[in-house]
Amino acid sequence: MPASYKWTSLRKTTKNSGDFPSINVSTHPLKVEVVSMKQSSNKSFIENINKWSAAFEEADPLMKFEQIEAEEEISSLAKIDIQTNYSQAWSKRRTNILNKYTTGEKLTIVSSFLPGGEKALIRQVSNLNEKVKHRLEQLDDFDEDSIRKTMGLSQQEFVTKIKMLDDEIKKAWNTEQRVRAFKICIQCSKMLSDVNVMQFYPSKFILICDILDNFGNLVFHRLKMKSYGDKVIKSPLDIDSTLVPEAAKETCQNWIFKMASIRELLPRLYMEMSLLKCYVFIHKDEIKPTIRRLTKMIRGIGNPLVAVYLRVYLCNVASKLLGKESEEYFYNNLKEFLEEYQQVFHPMMVKKYGTQLLTPDQYLTLYEPAVNWLIYGTLNLDRSKPLLLELLDQCDETENNELILNCIVASFDSQSIIENSTRILDMVHKSADKMVLLSHILASLGEHLCKAESYRKLSSEALSQAWWKIASNIRSTVDFLQVLGPWLQFACTQLSTQHTNIILRGTIRFMLKCGKPAEEFSSNFHMVIKRMLKSIPDIEEVFLMDAFMPLLELVQTSSARTVMAKTVLSIFFERYNAVQIEDPVVISSLMRLCCILHDSISAVTVEDESKVCAELINKYVHAVTYQDDFEQQLNFYVECRSAFIKLDAVLVALVHSVNALACRAGRGRGRWLQRACAAYCFVTVPSLHCALTKAQLYLLSGQAALLSACIGQAEANLKALVGIIPDIPQYIQEDGQNKSTHDRLVGLLSNFLSTLLILPDNVDSNCKAYVLSGFIKLMERIHWKKTDSLYYTLLLKILDLLCQMTQEKYAYHIDFVISNDDLYGSEEEFIDSIERYATNICQELLVVLKLLGDNKDTKKQYNLSLELFWRVTRRGDLNEPSMSSLAANLWMLSQKLQDSNNKFAKIMLTSLEKDKNQASRQLFAKLKSD
Amino acid sequence: MTTNLNIVLKRASKIYHEGDVIAGIVVVENSNDVRHEGLTLAMEGAVNLQLSTKNVGIFEAFSNSIKPMNLINTVIELAPAGKIPLGVTEIPFEIPLRARHPLPGAPAGCGLLETYHGVFVNIMYTLKCHMKRSFLNKPLNTSCQFFVQYKPQEAVPCKPVRCEISPNSVRRGGGGGAGGGPMPRFHIYAEIDSTVCALDRPLTGKIRVDECSVPIKSIELQLVRVETCGCAEGYSKDATEIQNIQVGEGDVVRARDVPLHMVLPRLFTCPTTSTVNFKIEFELNVAVIFEDDYLVTENFPILLVRSR
Repeated sequence: MPASYKWTSLRKTTKNSGDFPSINVSTHPLKVEVVSMKQSSNKSFIENINKWSAAFEEADPLMKFEQIEAEEEISSLAKIDIQTNYSQAWSKRRTNILNKYTTGEKLTIVSSFLPGGEKALIRQVSNLNEKVKHRLEQLDDFDEDSIRKTMGLSQQEFVTKIKMLDDEIKKAWNTEQRVRAFKICIQCSKMLSDVNVMQFYPSKFILICDILDNFGNLVFHRLKMKSYGDKVIKSPLDIDSTLVPEAAKETCQNWIFKMASIRELLPRLYMEMSLLKCYVFIHKDEIKPTIRRLTKMIRGIGNPLVAVYLRVYLCNVASKLLGKESEEYFYNNLKEFLEEYQQVFHPMMVKKYGTQLLTPDQYLTLYEPAVNWLIYGTLNLDRSKPLLLELLDQCDETENNELILNCIVASFDSQSIIENSTRILDMVHKSADKMVLLSHILASLGEHLCKAESYRKLSSEALSQAWWKIASNIRSTVDFLQVLGPWLQFACTQLSTQHTNIILRGTIRFMLKCGKPAEEFSSNFHMVIKRMLKSIPDIEEVFLMDAFMPLLELVQTSSARTVMAKTVLSIFFERYNAVQIEDPVVISSLMRLCCILHDSISAVTVEDESKVCAELINKYVHAVTYQDDFEQQLNFYVECRSAFIKLDAVLVALVHSVNALACRAGRGRGRWLQRACAAYCFVTVPSLHCALTKAQLYLLSGQAALLSACIGQAEANLKALVGIIPDIPQYIQEDGQNKSTHDRLVGLLSNFLSTLLILPDNVDSNCKAYVLSGFIKLMERIHWKKTDSLYYTLLLKILDLLCQMTQEKYAYHIDFVISNDDLYGSEEEFIDSIERYATNICQELLVVLKLLGDNKDTKKQYNLSLELFWRVTRRGDLNEPSMSSLAANLWMLSQKLQDSNNKFAKIMLTSLEKDKNQASRQLFAKLKSD
Repeated sequence: MTTNLNIVLKRASKIYHEGDVIAGIVVVENSNDVRHEGLTLAMEGAVNLQLSTKNVGIFEAFSNSIKPMNLINTVIELAPAGKIPLGVTEIPFEIPLRARHPLPGAPAGCGLLETYHGVFVNIMYTLKCHMKRSFLNKPLNTSCQFFVQYKPQEAVPCKPVRCEISPNSVRRGGGGGAGGGPMPRFHIYAEIDSTVCALDRPLTGKIRVDECSVPIKSIELQLVRVETCGCAEGYSKDATEIQNIQVGEGDVVRARDVPLHMVLPRLFTCPTTSTVNFKIEFELNVAVIFEDDYLVTENFPILLVRSR
């Protein structure tokens, strides 16, 4: 291959744009699309994902669960509305009870049907002498009826034992040992008289009820089999007792006699309830009187906790059997409970829960599920006087009415509670000092009020004031915050900002007065703030309340403050409706929060964490606007830069914003602002970490400066870009993966080269095409592999640029910027130096070609030779012998490597053939002849 | 070579009134042909009296148990001597239930007493099937109990009874209290809906604790039988518990009616009976037990009847 070919560029005659065939189009790829898409705030990331994944039939399995749950919730809600499906409603409560009432205390089971355990101390007769007794005891070990006491069981062990007993019942039943099953069942129900670990009692109740239900079903199904065989019977009430065979009746009667002779009251009642539905085999009409009788007999149970749960079981049995008709029994039992209400506060009970180290409110919450259930069953009962009023009247007359009140508020629908809210609040006010469930009542009352659609303003204020009077006297801070949440929401939605502000001020006072640092309650506090932010109609108003920011600052530890700031910011941006923020108060408040967020970032902060912070701060940076006060805006950016220096992402956003500002400012008023902007960028970019980002920003800032005709600044930026290229690594870490910078670099540098075309030369420098020459020099020195496509692609692009630079008039310009074509006017010296560069580049390309050949990289070699051939024929002056021979050589090389059937090569030939230029056609002929 | 005899009554409840016909089948189940010397069915009914050990001293002259009184004894032949083929053979039978002679003391026109299982008095009715076989083989026997009840009489009027239990009433009664120490202050009101009770109805009433200075542990209802054996010259009278039912557990609410409800157990109860040789009577005890096991009881004699 010849050593050197002198490059001569073809000078094309300038064509006016009209010479090219042109079509008017409405869209083109470069068109600036004004997408007026308001980032819909509450559309979260997940929703966006959803939108895209909707096309796939299979939903994400996790999402699926969520959907199913949501659907269930909806369907169950619908069911509750109907109010007839008690079992559905109960099973929901059942789970709640099991989850809520747990214990770490040790439990005890007394049973004769479980293996192991100590011998019970309870022994019936003992008038035998010790020796005989001991022998008998040994014998008893084999006897299953000896009562054993298993102590020190954990809750889990207890549940397992109960399950074992349940299995034991089934086993005994299936092996015809029905009396044994009956005995186990009695023992199980006896366990319910034990209130030693009270906080587990509701759960224990549930577990044992399951056993009783199972047993009841076993008996019932056996009787059904005896009477009807396998015939399906929908409801027990469909059974006609006159059609039941005598044998089945007799069996049933036997069960009832057996049950009636149980000595102890509690097991007898439980067993009778579990066998209640068997009465259909004897006499259906007996069921209702029996329920009534049982309702009264429960009075004999002295312990109120045991009694109320017994009532719950009775109502459950009744509701399963009678459906909606059971309301009457719910009501009766509720009445009975209320009559015996004072028993709950019996000194003996107080002593009992005292020794179990329960607080009064813990003790009272044990009643909650039971009473709620009784009220729930009564809700729909038609009565001359609404139940709510009746109960409230009762409350008025009752001492210690907090438990009833609490259950009323928890059970009734919001509408009725709201109507009576003033009355309830009055009642609470009267005895607020000694109420232990005060916070529960107030909180749930608040929840109801939050659901109010539009409440009369006047009474809202009165309510809120009344509430505040009570709330401000709450002793425990946690309780106070629990109550504050819903009421603050109520205030936000129903009352004026001033009012809410007053509450906030009060809160600050309370928190200061309570004497404990606010950190201790930060999570509760956090919830309250979150709730308020979510409920306030106009989120901007939050910052207009003078108490809000001080409230946030109450928390002193940085971690808690960061969490708070993050929450406030994220909710703010979620709910903020406008795209821009103009209010200076809001801006400064947000600035403060952003600073808190930023200050929390340290060397040990995880990447994701800082990413989230950066995202929030970016939203802030983007949203703040000072409209036409550009100077103020720039000052704001300067301030931001100093405030958020630790976050690269924010700096990047700032640079973008400043560039946008520069462009927005236009060329109108002097150019100081644009210069300041360019300078800002130039100064800001170096503090970033990622070289590639830096390069991109330099380019962008250079272009922005050029656009506003700040040539000096543009040159400085582009020069800095050239300087930074060697620092760009081959791979960068992104989302935990190594990504090649290759493609991005090619794109970036191509963009850079295109920009260079219009950048006017620095007249002071004696070098033509100053920045470009620097870039070319850099390419010589750079450590890239010469056979790397990155390297030679760039060389080709430089060649393109050089060819374009020799033209008399460049393809594009920026107004008010005098590019080199006008600057030099195609001066000989300039063209010469440019062509010298071209020759060198061409030379370098040939070296690359050779290296590729040496490496046997034929494909690359072939492509490169064709590319170069194309440039020579298109951009080179083929009249020059050196050029045409270079072209011919390159063609031959490419043909040698691969036949000319390549589409690309063919097109080149055709275009050569059709060229008007004489030299081209000559070259074509020459190539053909070869 | 096994043979099983079994008596199956038509009536599942096995309850018969005097004058009814006891119908059923005797099931003979054998794995071979069986030769026998006759199959008979006997119906027996008897009152067994036993003297309590407590009174044995007085009655030393007598034997410990008195000769049972026969109420009924009928034998019928089900099959003459012959052969019963292999497999299951069912032989139906019918026996009218009729007393041998009217019994003194029993309701008019009644020669039979109700089935009753007690401690010292037992009234039992059985069907016994007997298969005689050749001298090399043991005879086969099987038996089956059935129950006799009076025909329900006209409903009797209620006789409600009420009482108030207080320290004073206890002292006046001179009993009931157990355990020492000063008596707590209390006032309890109890009511039985009727002292004349139908056997197939539960016994009902109510109890109310109006005042009680100490916590209550339990309120119980005790059914007691009083059996008297012997005749004018010497007899034993014993009261034993039939069943004890708790109606109140723990310290029940004051001034609230707690229902009393007791289902009378079958077999262990019968209409109050009084004959020349023995008497069966019933009583009801209402017991209130205080936290310190102090016991206060009130006794109500009751009359049990078989009525509608």
